[in-house]
Amino acid sequence: MYWEIIKMAFESLLANKTRSLLSMLGIVIGVSTVIAVFAIGKGAESAVDEQFSGLSAKSIIIMGQMGGKSGGGAISSSKLSMEDVKVIREKAEYISIVTGIMQGNDTVSYNSNEDSYAVVGTDLDFFSISNLKLVTGRFFTDEEMKDKEQLVVLGSDVVEALYIEGEEILETKVVINNKRLEVIGYFEETGSSLGRTSKDEAVYIPYQTAESSILGDKGGSVMLTLEADEVDNITLATEEVTKILREEHNLKDSQENDFRIMDAGSMVGAAQESASLMTTVLTLVAAIVLIVSGIGIMNVMFVTVAERTKEIGIARAIGAKQGDILKQFLFESIFLSTLGGLIGIFLGQSIIPLISKFGGLLITSTVTGPVLGFTFSALVGIVFGFYPALKASRLDPVDALRSE
Amino acid sequence: METKSEIKLKDVYKSYYLANGEEIPVLKGIDLDIKKGEFVVLMGESGGGKTTLLNIIGCLHPLSRGNYYLEEENIGEVRDDFTLAYIRNKKMGFIFQQFNLLNKSTALKNVSLPALYAGESKQEREKRAKELLESVGLSDRLSHKPTELSGGQQQRVAIARALVNNPEIILADEPTGALDSKSGIEIMNIFIKFKKQGKTVIMVTHTSEVAKYADRIIFLKDGKVIDRNYKLISSY
Repeated sequence: MYWEIIKMAFESLLANKTRSLLSMLGIVIGVSTVIAVFAIGKGAESAVDEQFSGLSAKSIIIMGQMGGKSGGGAISSSKLSMEDVKVIREKAEYISIVTGIMQGNDTVSYNSNEDSYAVVGTDLDFFSISNLKLVTGRFFTDEEMKDKEQLVVLGSDVVEALYIEGEEILETKVVINNKRLEVIGYFEETGSSLGRTSKDEAVYIPYQTAESSILGDKGGSVMLTLEADEVDNITLATEEVTKILREEHNLKDSQENDFRIMDAGSMVGAAQESASLMTTVLTLVAAIVLIVSGIGIMNVMFVTVAERTKEIGIARAIGAKQGDILKQFLFESIFLSTLGGLIGIFLGQSIIPLISKFGGLLITSTVTGPVLGFTFSALVGIVFGFYPALKASRLDPVDALRSE
Repeated sequence: METKSEIKLKDVYKSYYLANGEEIPVLKGIDLDIKKGEFVVLMGESGGGKTTLLNIIGCLHPLSRGNYYLEEENIGEVRDDFTLAYIRNKKMGFIFQQFNLLNKSTALKNVSLPALYAGESKQEREKRAKELLESVGLSDRLSHKPTELSGGQQQRVAIARALVNNPEIILADEPTGALDSKSGIEIMNIFIKFKKQGKTVIMVTHTSEVAKYADRIIFLKDGKVIDRNYKLISSY
């Protein structure tokens, strides 16, 4: 009996193919959006994990601050310098390593190949803190740094872009800002980031060289990367460094910090929070699309009931129960929405690689997206199909028979 | 020995209500006794309450007041959809003036539909539907849709549908109203067969040509039975 009623529902949908397809469209879009949203959200979470994968739990990052006003008073703009690195190195008890980075973008060329990359001027401590591993070659020495030698260590993507596979890289010279720098080593691929820059898409030069001849004013403020001696001491270390820098920058008690200090935990937390906020917002959008499509299905079902009132009257006169009529119309609505859901899943899964390819986003397929999308589509069919089906089942048989 | 009452109505009233609450009384104290196997015709002027009475007998309308005994059981106050649907499905077969067939379904599907609602298997209901369509001379029209059949053929499909669950009572509302006289006679011959099979037939009609086939004519006027055994010889 159930099977027969399902068959009748299916036949009636087939009888109005165009209308059925159009009313399904909303569900198709809604479900494919849900799938894309979950894939993008998961991708964003993976991107955060990847971005901070090179960061130790003991890491602290300090950046310069633009001038402005805050609730606590005026914030003076600041430019951190290697002097700050020196002072922290001398005074801080809870800090084991401290390094400064000057960063800018410049064209890096080798033979006829060239592209724009991040140029990072830093000192030796950076290499011990950054998880970068040499494939071959070496880092620059203290002596070479002091002498402002024109040396460079390349990130993996730079090597891949500038050199032919198998080509000898060491002792070749790349040109940055019209200066020829000798390549003394290159790194393995890491996948992690330095702020917004991929460590693989950067070249590394001695800080003094960067300051004097390569980046100059383009380098902007120095970013300090520190490591606390113990994970448990991260709060103490943060407070200590804050105090040292405030003294060094001659800030009064009434003045806000002229630098931003962040520990690894809070950075990862903030990034994860923004990724999850994005997922929430997109999920809400998808939910709204599904609700709107549900209203569309309800509308179509009302039209269907109105068109088939006489048919309902005939069925009631020959012995159909209210429940039989309710089931038939509810099945029709569930059919519409779940079929739309299945098409949406197919479409969503098909567009994920396209978004990844053309949108340049890191996207990870999830099981949650399709499962949630399908469940939602079925629920939409039940919830929005129920009222029209109930109305159909409660029609007076004689009135229904009289309708044309 | 007296035959048992199949249908008995006692002091039955039925009113409709307009949107402004105004009451329109249609049936005003109907008393009726129809025996098992009787072929009864309901006649009367338009608006006299014939179709409303037929719908009440067929459990399509609830009555406003009074008692309705079906096979000696008072069902006048039954409002349970399950029971009423069961009665319409198993105890009665409806035949309408405008046939009321499903235009998108074949003759075979139309006829087997009440058996589907009765929960019969596909094999069983199609077997019976085929037999019935054969018995009304439509064995070569099983897969035809109503729009591909003549009026007389459509009404024969509707008759086969009314019989598919083998009901004891056949209710017909102007079954020949939309047919030419030749088809009308064919349909009435089928009704005679019903009577011979012992079925109770209640038919609404305006036409004395059709009414003459009945055992008894009940005449209604202004919602009341004015003659329980009306004679056609009279001036009507």
